[in-house]
Amino acid sequence: MKFKAFLTENGVNLLEKRFLPALDKMGKICHLFLTREHTFFLHNLLSGDGVQSIAQFQKEALFDDYRISSQNEDRIAFAIDISLLNRAVRSSVSICSELGGDGSTANRLQIKLVKKLPPNSTLPTPFLTFETKGYKSAVIQDVPISKPLSRAQVLELQTALDMAQDLPQTLVQVPDLNQLQNFVDRMKHVGDLLNVSISKYGDLHVQTSTTLITLGAEFRKLLVVGERAVPPPEDQNVSAQIRSERAILRGDAQLVQVNVKHFSKSLQCHLVKPDCAFYGIAPQGACLTVIFQFFIPGTRQTDKSISLHCRLPVLDPS
Amino acid sequence: MSSSAVDAEALDLVCQLDNVQGMVDALSAVRWKRNQDAVIELSEHGVVFIVEETGCLQAKVYLQRELFTRYEYSAQGRPRLGVSLGLFVDCLNTFSVPGHSSFIEIRYPGPDMQLLLKSVDSLDACIYAEIKTRIPDSISWDYNFEPAGSTPLTFTVKSAALKEAIDDLEWPGSSIQIKLQPVPPAVTFRGEGHGDLQIDLMYYVNTDLLVAFHCDRQVSYWYKYKFLRSTTSNIPNSVIKDNRGSKLTIGRGGMLKVQHLVSVARSSTLYPHIDSAGYKQPSRIAYIEFFVKPEEDEDAVND
Repeated sequence: MKFKAFLTENGVNLLEKRFLPALDKMGKICHLFLTREHTFFLHNLLSGDGVQSIAQFQKEALFDDYRISSQNEDRIAFAIDISLLNRAVRSSVSICSELGGDGSTANRLQIKLVKKLPPNSTLPTPFLTFETKGYKSAVIQDVPISKPLSRAQVLELQTALDMAQDLPQTLVQVPDLNQLQNFVDRMKHVGDLLNVSISKYGDLHVQTSTTLITLGAEFRKLLVVGERAVPPPEDQNVSAQIRSERAILRGDAQLVQVNVKHFSKSLQCHLVKPDCAFYGIAPQGACLTVIFQFFIPGTRQTDKSISLHCRLPVLDPS
Repeated sequence: MSSSAVDAEALDLVCQLDNVQGMVDALSAVRWKRNQDAVIELSEHGVVFIVEETGCLQAKVYLQRELFTRYEYSAQGRPRLGVSLGLFVDCLNTFSVPGHSSFIEIRYPGPDMQLLLKSVDSLDACIYAEIKTRIPDSISWDYNFEPAGSTPLTFTVKSAALKEAIDDLEWPGSSIQIKLQPVPPAVTFRGEGHGDLQIDLMYYVNTDLLVAFHCDRQVSYWYKYKFLRSTTSNIPNSVIKDNRGSKLTIGRGGMLKVQHLVSVARSSTLYPHIDSAGYKQPSRIAYIEFFVKPEEDEDAVND
C-alpha cells in the first residue's frame, strides 16, 4: 500500500482556505478515501446518524505527480482528524512561503503515507506525512491516521458512496447562504426540529414549531433545477404555511423534518465559498440534500473537478 | 396579505417597526435570567413589557407608538397578555439581519390568541412567527412609585459609569448601600460583604460623569446586589456607545427607580452619513425602568 503525491498550489488553497475549515465544522473525524482518479473526504458515511458530507476532488485539482497503489484496486481509505490535517497543511504553507521567497519550485509540499514507530511504542503506526523541502532545510510533519480500512470496509465505504449519489428530483437554489445561516443559527435558540419543504414552484419553506411558538421562513421564486411546476394563482395571497400545505397535498412539494443543528451544519459549508447552493429532498423523502456548485474561475461553467454535497438524515420518515 | 387586510378590523393591534434590533436591545436590557415571564400591555399609547422577580424587582420597557412606523390600536380597555420574554426576544432576533434594517409587522390576537410576527420588507422572502400567549398572572405588587418628599431625590449618571460601578461592587457582593447627600453633593455606593468597597461620585468634581443631581437631605438605603446588578447587567451596547445617561430616583420608602434610554432609531450602519452629521432621530427612544425595593432592615438615616 503506497501513496505519494505533491500538493499543488491550487490544491493547498482549496484545502487550507476553503474545504478543510468547512469540513472541520462537519465533524472532527472524516474518512480520506484515495483512488486512482479521485480524492474523497467523507463524513458519517459508515455511521448511520449525523450529516453525511461528500467532498470529491479529481486528483489534478489537488495534486501532481500522484502515485497510489494497493492490492485493493489501488484504493486506500483511512480516518483522519480534520483539524490536525488542516494544521499540518497550514504550517506547511507558512514554511513554504518563508522558504520560497525566490519563487523556486523546489520547495514543494509532498504528502505520503508512512508507517513509523512513535516514541515509547513498539507498534508501527500509520501517518500521513507532510514534507516541505526548503533551500537548506526540510520540515516533516506527521499527522496520525487510523489503520487503513480493510478490503471489506473499503467496499462498504464505496457502496455507501455510490448510494449517496442519488439526486433529488427538484432542487432549489438558495439565494443567500449567509442570510439563511444567520436565520437558522438564531432559530436554534427557539426549537430543535426543522420542517423543510421544497416545492416545484421554487419555494423553500423552513419552520420550527414547539408548544409555545411557531417560527418559519419562506423563500419564494427560487431557481429550480429538475422537475418544476407553475404555481397556481390562488396560492399567491395565502400565508406561507397554507401555501406549503397545499403544495404538499397537490404532490408538488415534499416535506421532511431534520435536526436544526444538522441544517445549520450544512450551511457552514458556505466556508468552501461555493458559487451556488441547492437544496432538494431525495426521492421518498429519504434525506435532505444540499449540493454546492463550483464554477471554473471567471466563467459560469461548472467545475467538474470539485464537488461537495451533504445529506441530512430525516428524523421522521413518515 | 389580503387576509390580513380583512381581519385588521377585528384585531386589537397591528403595528410595524423598522428597527427590530432596537427592540431586541431594549427588551434584552430587562432579561436578567433565562426563564422570565413577561406581561405585555397594549394601549393606544404603545406597548409596555413588564417583568418582575420575587416581588422585589420590576422592570418595564415602554415602546411608545411613535417608535412604530404604523400603529393601529382598536381594542377596548388595555389587553394584557403573557409571553416568555426569552422566547420572544430569541424569536425577534431571528428577524434581525445584521447590516439590514428589518421591517416587521406585529399583530394581536391571532385565531388562537397568538402574537403574530411577520417580516414585511421583501416579497419573495418572508419570516413569520406565531407566539402562544397566556393569560398573565396578576402583578404581585403594585410598584406605585411615589416621590419621597416635596423635592425629588434623583441623580443622572452616565450609563457606562453606572454599569462599571455596579460591576465593581460585585466583589463585596450581597448588599449595596446607596447614599445621597446634599453637602457636598455626592452619591455613594458602598458594598459590604467579603470586604468593603465604596464608590463616591462627587457632583462638582465629575460633572461629565454625574450629569444631574437633586437632593435636599441625606438618605441612604440598602439594596440586594443581585437586583441592583439586574438593572445594568444587560444594558445594550448602543446605550454605552451613544454615551447616554441613566436616571436614578429614590422614592418613598427607599424604592429605587432606574431609568435607561435605548435608541430604536434605524440602524446607523445603514446611514453612516446621517450619524456623522450628528443627526439623531430624537423621538425614537425606548424607555426602560427598573424598580428595586430596598432591603427591609434599613438601619439608615432616613427622613
